[in-house]
Amino acid sequence: MAHIQINNLHKQFGDVKVIRDVNLTIDDNEFVVFVGPSGCGKSTLLRLISGLEDLSSGHIKIDGERIDHLPPSKRGIAMVFQSYALYPHMSVYQNMSYALRVAKESKASIDKKVKQAAEVLQLTELLDRKPKALSGGQRQRVAIGRAIVRDPKLFLFDEPLSNLDAKLRVQMRIELTKLHKKLNATMIYVTHDQVEAMTMADKIVVIRDGIIEQVGAPLELYNHPANQFVAGFIGSPSMNFIDVKVIGKSDASLELELKNKTNIHIPCAEVDLHAIGDKMQIGIRPEKLILDEACDAMQDGEVFAVERLGNETYIYMHTATNNEIVLHAAGDKPVTEGDHISVGFKVADCHLFASNGEVVK
Amino acid sequence: MSLASDHDIDLIYQKSLRKRKNMRRLWLAFLLLPPILMLLIFVFLPMASAVLYSVYDWKGLVRGEFIGLGNYYDVLFKPRESWFLFNAFKNNVVVFISLMIVQNGLALVLALLLARKPAGYRFYQVVIFLPVILSTVIIGFQWKLFLNPIFGLVNKFLRMVDLDMWALPWLGLPETALGSMILVNTWHWVGFPTLVFLAAIHRIPKDLIEAARLDGANEWRIARDIIWPLMAPAVTIIVVLTFIGSFNWFEIPFIMGSLEGSPAYSTDTLGLLFYRTAFGSVSAGGSNFGAGSALAVLIFIFIFTFSIIVTKYLTSREIEMG
Amino acid sequence: MQTKKKANFNTWLMQIFLGCNAVIMLYPIFMMAISGFKTNSEIFGKPFSLPSSLNFDNFLVIWNTTDVPRYLLNSTIVTGLSVVLLLTMGTMAAYALARYKFRGNIMIYLFFLSGLMLPLRLAIIPLFIQLKYLGLIDSLLGLICIYTAMSLPATVFILTGFLKTLPSELEDSARMDGASEARIMVQIMLPLISPALVIAGIYTAVPIWNDFFFPLIFIQSPEWKTLAQGLTSFFGEYSINYGVLYAGLTLAALPVVTIFIIQSNRFIAGMTAGAIK
Repeated sequence: MAHIQINNLHKQFGDVKVIRDVNLTIDDNEFVVFVGPSGCGKSTLLRLISGLEDLSSGHIKIDGERIDHLPPSKRGIAMVFQSYALYPHMSVYQNMSYALRVAKESKASIDKKVKQAAEVLQLTELLDRKPKALSGGQRQRVAIGRAIVRDPKLFLFDEPLSNLDAKLRVQMRIELTKLHKKLNATMIYVTHDQVEAMTMADKIVVIRDGIIEQVGAPLELYNHPANQFVAGFIGSPSMNFIDVKVIGKSDASLELELKNKTNIHIPCAEVDLHAIGDKMQIGIRPEKLILDEACDAMQDGEVFAVERLGNETYIYMHTATNNEIVLHAAGDKPVTEGDHISVGFKVADCHLFASNGEVVK
Repeated sequence: MSLASDHDIDLIYQKSLRKRKNMRRLWLAFLLLPPILMLLIFVFLPMASAVLYSVYDWKGLVRGEFIGLGNYYDVLFKPRESWFLFNAFKNNVVVFISLMIVQNGLALVLALLLARKPAGYRFYQVVIFLPVILSTVIIGFQWKLFLNPIFGLVNKFLRMVDLDMWALPWLGLPETALGSMILVNTWHWVGFPTLVFLAAIHRIPKDLIEAARLDGANEWRIARDIIWPLMAPAVTIIVVLTFIGSFNWFEIPFIMGSLEGSPAYSTDTLGLLFYRTAFGSVSAGGSNFGAGSALAVLIFIFIFTFSIIVTKYLTSREIEMG
Repeated sequence: MQTKKKANFNTWLMQIFLGCNAVIMLYPIFMMAISGFKTNSEIFGKPFSLPSSLNFDNFLVIWNTTDVPRYLLNSTIVTGLSVVLLLTMGTMAAYALARYKFRGNIMIYLFFLSGLMLPLRLAIIPLFIQLKYLGLIDSLLGLICIYTAMSLPATVFILTGFLKTLPSELEDSARMDGASEARIMVQIMLPLISPALVIAGIYTAVPIWNDFFFPLIFIQSPEWKTLAQGLTSFFGEYSINYGVLYAGLTLAALPVVTIFIIQSNRFIAGMTAGAIK
C-alpha cells in the first residue's frame, strides 16, 4: 500500500534525454499501467522508480517520503522482470527466499513467508524444483512469488507476460488482476500491449519519447483521447483518421470539408483558435462506422481485405479519396474483396484533431 | 513537505550517490588491479626489457655499455652467426610448410570424414585427440626410443617385414632427421586442427549443405564449394597457430636431437639457436644476453609481422554467417 | 541399386581410413605402456609381443629409487596453484570487463587481448634476471607466477565471452533483492559459468602440466624439478634400461590420460576453446 508521487523527473544517458519532466501521482492500491511504443522510455521510468537506474533530476516519493537516494532494496519495492530472472541454480524455495536471506531474516520467518506466498500462488508442490523444470506460467508465478515474500509497498512489473503464449497470457492477465485485489497493493505495470493496458489498469499512463501524453482510466482514454497519438495508440484496430479542411466558422462549431466534398459541422469550444483553411483530421473508431446506411457523412470505397472471426468482421477499404479505413462490424457481413461499399458515420462519434495532433473535440 | 527538507534530502542524495560511485570504483579496482599487475610484471615488463637489453653489451649477468645495434649486427651479419641464423630459419620454414601440408592436410581430410558422423565417431575423435594432451617431452622421448636404429620398434618392424634397406638410423642422418621429427610432430598434434576444423564444419547450418545436395552437388563439390569457404575462420586460426608453433619449434628437436640441432645442425631451429646464444653451449660458447635479446626481438618482430599479414589476408576471404 | 553399392563402398573406405588412423594413433601409446612391463631382454628379443607377465618391477624401480614421484608432486603443485590463481584472477578481470560499463573498459580488454600475442618464451632473458632479482629462481613460486601471467589473457578472453552471455536482468533482480555487488558475482553469476570455468581450467592446465621450457631454464635443483623436465634427467640416468624408461613415460602420461578418458568431451572443448570462436 503506497501513494507514489513523481515530480519533475528527468533522465538522460549522455546527450540523449530518455525521460523528460515526468510528473505523476499514483494512489494507494492503484493498478497503473505504463504503455507506449518500444523505446518510449516506459521501462526506463520503471527502472528509475526501482532504483536500478540513477535519475538525473527530480523527486520520487512514496507515502510522502523521498526514496530517490535509497538503493533499490531499501525502497520497499519489488520487481517482476520480463524474463522472470529466476536464479537458474536455485530451487523455487531458494529463489523466493533469496531477498530475505540477504536481509538476514530468521529461518522461521523466512519459511513462513515463503510457504504463505507459495500457498497464494499454488506453488507449494513446486518449492523444491529448479526453474528449468517449470512451465512458463509456473516460472511467471515464482517470479511474482519472489516479489510477494518481500511484502513490498509497491510492485513493479516489466512486460511480465510477453514471454507467454497467447492463451496463457489471457489467463495470467486475469490472475494478476485477482492478485492485485487480494494483495491490496499498489502496482505499476509496463507493457507495449494496449490490450493488457485496457483490461488490467485502474489508470493508464501513455508515454511517448519520454513524455507522458495522457493519464487516465482506460475508457476515459478510449473515449476522450487528449491527442491523436493516444487516439491512435489505444484501441485495436486503430482509430481511422480522415483529412479535413476548415471552411467555415460559427459561434460554437467549425464547418469542415472532407476530401469528397461532403461538409460537416462539428461543435468546438474555442473557435477562435482555428482559421479558415486549416488542415485537420477527424478520427472515428472502426466500430462507429456504419455500413450502407444513410448518415451524417459517407465515405465510398473499395474493399481490399476482409477478416472474418465469426462473431465479428473487420472490413478494410480504400476510400475514393485515398484514405485507408477499417470498419468493425458485429456478426458476419456478406462483403468480399473488391466490393464497392459505402460507409457512414455520425458527427457525434467524431473526434477532431488539429494539425499539431491536439484534440479539438 | 517543506522546501528546506527537500533540499536536505537532495544533499543526502548527492552524498549517497557519490558514495556509491566511489564504492563502485573501489570494487572495479579490486577486481582489475591484481590481474593487470600480474600481466604487467610478468609479461609486459620482460617483453619490453628484451628490447632494452638487446642494445647493451652483456658480461654474463651484468649489463655493460650501450652499443646500439651492435648485437643485431652480430647475429645478422657475422659470417658464422649469420650462417647459423639462416640455417635455422630455413629449417623453420621447412617445418612450417611441411606441417601445413602433412599435418593440417591430414587434419582436414579427417575432419571432413568425421563430419559425416561415421560409426565409431566418438571413439575416433577421442583417439585422434589422445596424443594432443600428452607432453611433448613424453612424445619426444617415446619416439626417440621407437626410432632407435638398433633397438627401436620402427626398425625392428621394418626388418620383420623384410625391408632391411629401409631400417635407417632415422634421427642420425641429416637427410631424414628433420623429416622424422616433422612426422612425430604431426602424430602428436594432428588431433588439434582436426577437431577445430570439425567444430567449424558442425557450425555450418545443415540447411545449406542439404540445399547444395538438392541442387545436385556431389560430396566433393559440397566440400569444395560450401564447407571449405564457410570454415574459413577456423582455417585462419589454424594457419596462424601453425605458423607461430613452427617458428617457436623447440621441444621436439631439443629432445629428439640435441641443443645443437644434431645431426650436423640439420634440425637446428631459431628456438634452439636463441637458447644457445642466450645461455651458452658448445658451439656458441658462453652465454650472451645481448645477442640473445637481439635474436629474440628479431624473431618476435618476424612472427608478429607475418601473423598479422597472414591473418589480414586470410580473414579477407572469410564470410560472415548470419 | 548402383548408387547404394557405391555409398556402401565409400563407407567402407572411410572406415578403413579412420580405422588405420586410429591404430596409428593408439598403437605407439599402447606399445609404450606394455613395454613398461617388460625386461630389457624382452624388449630386444620380442619387441611386439605382450609382456610375459604383468611385472611391475620397472614401476617399482621408478617409485623407489628415482625422483619421479617428487617431480609428479611438484608438477601437481605448480599446475594446481597456477590454475587456481588463474581462474581467480581471470574471473575477477573478466567479470569487471563483461558486466560493468566504465571508461577504459575497452582499453583494458585490449590490453589483456594483446597479451595473447606476446610469446613469453622470447622474453626469457629479462624474465630470468627479473626472477633472480625477486629470488624466484629455482622455486616453484616463480613458475607459478610465470604460468599465471602467461595464461591470464586466454583465461580472461574465454571467461569474458561466457560472462557476457548472462542476462543482465539476473543482476538487476539480485540488486532488487538487496545483494551487494560482490554477492551478486559470487552467489548469482559465477555458479552460472561453472562449465566455462572448467573449460578455461583445462585449457590452461594441460599446457602448464606439460611445459618443459620454463623449468628447463628456471629450475636447477632436483627437488624442484617438474615432471616434464625431470624426465630428461631421468632419461640420462637410465639410458640403457629401456623397460624403466618406458615405465617412466607411461607413469608420466598416466594422470592426464586418465582424466582425459573420463572427461574427453570437456577436454576437447577446453583445449580447442581458444581456437573456436
